[in-house]
Amino acid sequence: MPNVVKHTALFLGYELRNTARNPVWPLFGILQPLLYMLMFAPLLAKLTPGVPEAETLKQFTPGMMIMIALFGSLFVGFGMIMEIRSGVLERLAVSPVSRPAIVLGRTVRDMIILVVQALLIVAIGLLMGMRPSLPGLAAFIGLMAVTGLFASGLSYGLALALRDENGMSQILQFFALPLILLTGILLPISLAPQWMQVVAKFNPLYHAVEAGRALFDGNLSDGSIPLSFGLMAALAVITVWWSVTSMRRLAG
Amino acid sequence: MIIAAEGLKKTFTTRNRKGTQTVEAVKGIDLSVETGEIFGVLGPNGAGKTTTMRMLSTLIAPTSGTARVAGHDLIKEAYQIRRRIGYVSQAGGVDDNNGARANLMLAARVNGLGRAQAAERVDAMLTAFDLTEFADRPGRTLSGGQKRRVAIALGLVHQPPLLFLDEPTTGLDPQNRANLWDQIRLLRREGTSVLLSTHYLDEADALCDRLAIVDHGVIVAEGTPATLKREVASDVVTLRVGTGDATTPADVTESVPSEVSKLLEAQPYTKEVRADGDVLRVYLDDGEHALPGLLRVLAEGGVVIRSIALDRATLDDVFLHKTGRSLRDAA
Repeated sequence: MPNVVKHTALFLGYELRNTARNPVWPLFGILQPLLYMLMFAPLLAKLTPGVPEAETLKQFTPGMMIMIALFGSLFVGFGMIMEIRSGVLERLAVSPVSRPAIVLGRTVRDMIILVVQALLIVAIGLLMGMRPSLPGLAAFIGLMAVTGLFASGLSYGLALALRDENGMSQILQFFALPLILLTGILLPISLAPQWMQVVAKFNPLYHAVEAGRALFDGNLSDGSIPLSFGLMAALAVITVWWSVTSMRRLAG
Repeated sequence: MIIAAEGLKKTFTTRNRKGTQTVEAVKGIDLSVETGEIFGVLGPNGAGKTTTMRMLSTLIAPTSGTARVAGHDLIKEAYQIRRRIGYVSQAGGVDDNNGARANLMLAARVNGLGRAQAAERVDAMLTAFDLTEFADRPGRTLSGGQKRRVAIALGLVHQPPLLFLDEPTTGLDPQNRANLWDQIRLLRREGTSVLLSTHYLDEADALCDRLAIVDHGVIVAEGTPATLKREVASDVVTLRVGTGDATTPADVTESVPSEVSKLLEAQPYTKEVRADGDVLRVYLDDGEHALPGLLRVLAEGGVVIRSIALDRATLDDVFLHKTGRSLRDAA
């Protein structure tokens, strides 16, 4: 199967050139987390008197980055529904294209865009005075990329299973809000009642945010780090595999 | 032979609240397409044309039956077939976010062409389909005709020996249709075999070397457009008859066509008469010479002719002859 690598590269190049022509949309994608950093983080700082704002930002930014990873990538499937409707996937299905490459080329593109967005957010955080641990930051961008892979795999899988924009947006809406609230992105989960703290433990994104905070603090031996990497990697493998098999089913 | 299919069948199973329902979309089709010819599959919507095309292009697996396409077995060697065909669906498959050039380049590369070779073919396609001017404009900004041309170029960019065209001119205006026909005819000159589905009679007549007329998932007639029409008759006289008296009661008026058709069926030159309300279609060979005699018989029988027309028989007459319905009425 040497074609998988070659065709993934071809699809990736095609999609990246496409994004490069319209770089506005990925920039829009970081607008919301940016506003949170500018307007919500100062509020949060007021709630914790005595803690410098740069410190609050260090707690807050990892959550924002996971939010981009999740929300930026969860919606990529809508593009694939368009491609089903316009017959693009049907045309690829009757060509000798490697099936996994159709999905992989797109997920790798999503991951690259995500890393660029993350770097922009970090740059803004640095300007605002945040000073994260550098090895921690590097590791966290890796974790974020894996989280993005999970989300885009899930999104393509859903798109290929549902093939309907309405159904897909309903499902995403349904899951997005509780996932975010149970991550402790906006407010620390330690403020939550006991039952929510227990439920949050079952949310893999909660562990990713916890790991992000530990990494930014330079706490590289924190137990949440291997736990979240392991969880997200396993989930990413499952969702990408799901979307690849769905593509195989669609394209014979 | 580029396509040889035997007993192709496709049954779709749908599940809903009412339980399981099976639809026999294609009920057993034998098809042979010679290398280099344009072969048409003509039929009304829902006749099984698209399902047949989708099976032969490896998109869906047949429920039963066998076929060899471009020299390979449909079931066992789908990959080899995919390397040798182009497929243009009704939806077209043009990426709306990207220009024709980028679309074509990707299609060429994933079909195995090297970078330089692909660039060369893309340029040739852009020129051949008159797309150079807006080669880099996103697909969504193109007109219907332009987008169709991109779609067909996408099916041809890797020079496949066999091209599938599923209703290529549906939704196009007459000008674009005529241009597209010319481009499809050019393919024949280059030796590309084409399997084309259509529900337009004139399209099948104008483009196809041979065609199969399908209805309800089976082939009802097959041959060249000329032989198919000759089988029915070369000419058709369309008559509107009456008693000539506007005050005649309706039941008398209604019985007139059947009497006239009996009268005409008795004539030696008549091959077939079909009545539809007060309109009679009389099939005959050599209409020009038979018409004076026909008029005389009607005059002697006291039949009043309200209108009369002599036309060449069309593929619709073939469809009518084989199925008892007009293709225009069959949905």
